Amino acid sequence: MDCFEVQERIFEGFEGELSSEKKKQLDRHLSACPACAQFFALQSRLDVRLREEITPPRLSASFRVSLQERKSHLRREPWPDWLPDFAHLAGSAVAIGVSAVLLPLPVPVVVGTGVVVALAAYSLQTMLVGTFEQWTE
Amino acid sequence: MADEDVQRLLSKKRFDAAFELLLDRYQNKVFRLVNSILKETARAEEVTQDIFLKMWQVLPDYNRRAALSTWLYTISRNTSLSAARTESYRKTVPIDDCEPRDANWDVGMQQMEMKQLVERLSEVQQHVITLFYLQDRGIEDVAQMLDLPEGTIKSHLHRARRALANMMRS
Repeated sequence: MDCFEVQERIFEGFEGELSSEKKKQLDRHLSACPACAQFFALQSRLDVRLREEITPPRLSASFRVSLQERKSHLRREPWPDWLPDFAHLAGSAVAIGVSAVLLPLPVPVVVGTGVVVALAAYSLQTMLVGTFEQWTE
Repeated sequence: MADEDVQRLLSKKRFDAAFELLLDRYQNKVFRLVNSILKETARAEEVTQDIFLKMWQVLPDYNRRAALSTWLYTISRNTSLSAARTESYRKTVPIDDCEPRDANWDVGMQQMEMKQLVERLSEVQQHVITLFYLQDRGIEDVAQMLDLPEGTIKSHLHRARRALANMMRS
């Protein structure tokens, strides 16, 4: 192991990647090589200084509050998930009601047919939306 | 997969809950990354907010091709670099200001701010060494934040250590 390799191994030690076997080899070299021992001493001091002086900056206490405030002005909330279903069913109910009044057919027939058609359309729509979402994922 | 809980919330279109989880998990990491680029805490906090607001806006478009953290760090780097460019937040310290006050390196080391020495490194070495110590010496974290291979991070780190040691000796 030459001195450059030893120095790289010293760095690996600071990165916490040194096995006990490698550490023993390193110690042996350091006890026999004054230049590498000096390099190790200097790098150790540097590591301590860096650890002491590079400290994490802190976010201010108001960070989240201020972010939420900016977020609330940014975009209207998306429509709730239940709204399309509700709109479909409400629209169907209104259409069935109007048809029952206007069409010259018995009311139970119109309502029955309307309910069956509305449910069939709802099922078909749900199936198509599900397939589309799976496909886009 | 990392951030699986966030992914689940996103697939249920629970964007608010997903956003809160992302904030809890990444706000400090993103802030450190931004701060290492802008080097000004107040401005870095503002830009961190901008980044999360951008993230909030594009969350519905997340397509799972990249990990959420990769996506977030990419937005963070681009936004910070753009802020640094447009507002000239990149600071350069004249070399004269950084000279040790004593020829003896040991005394110089006592007197000189490590920050000043680090500022004399190349930009990428500054980011790597700063983030390495901020992220509890996690090479993997730093590699993810800077979108560089771990080997490259180590190589920058080693060069930075050698350069800093030379500065302290000079």
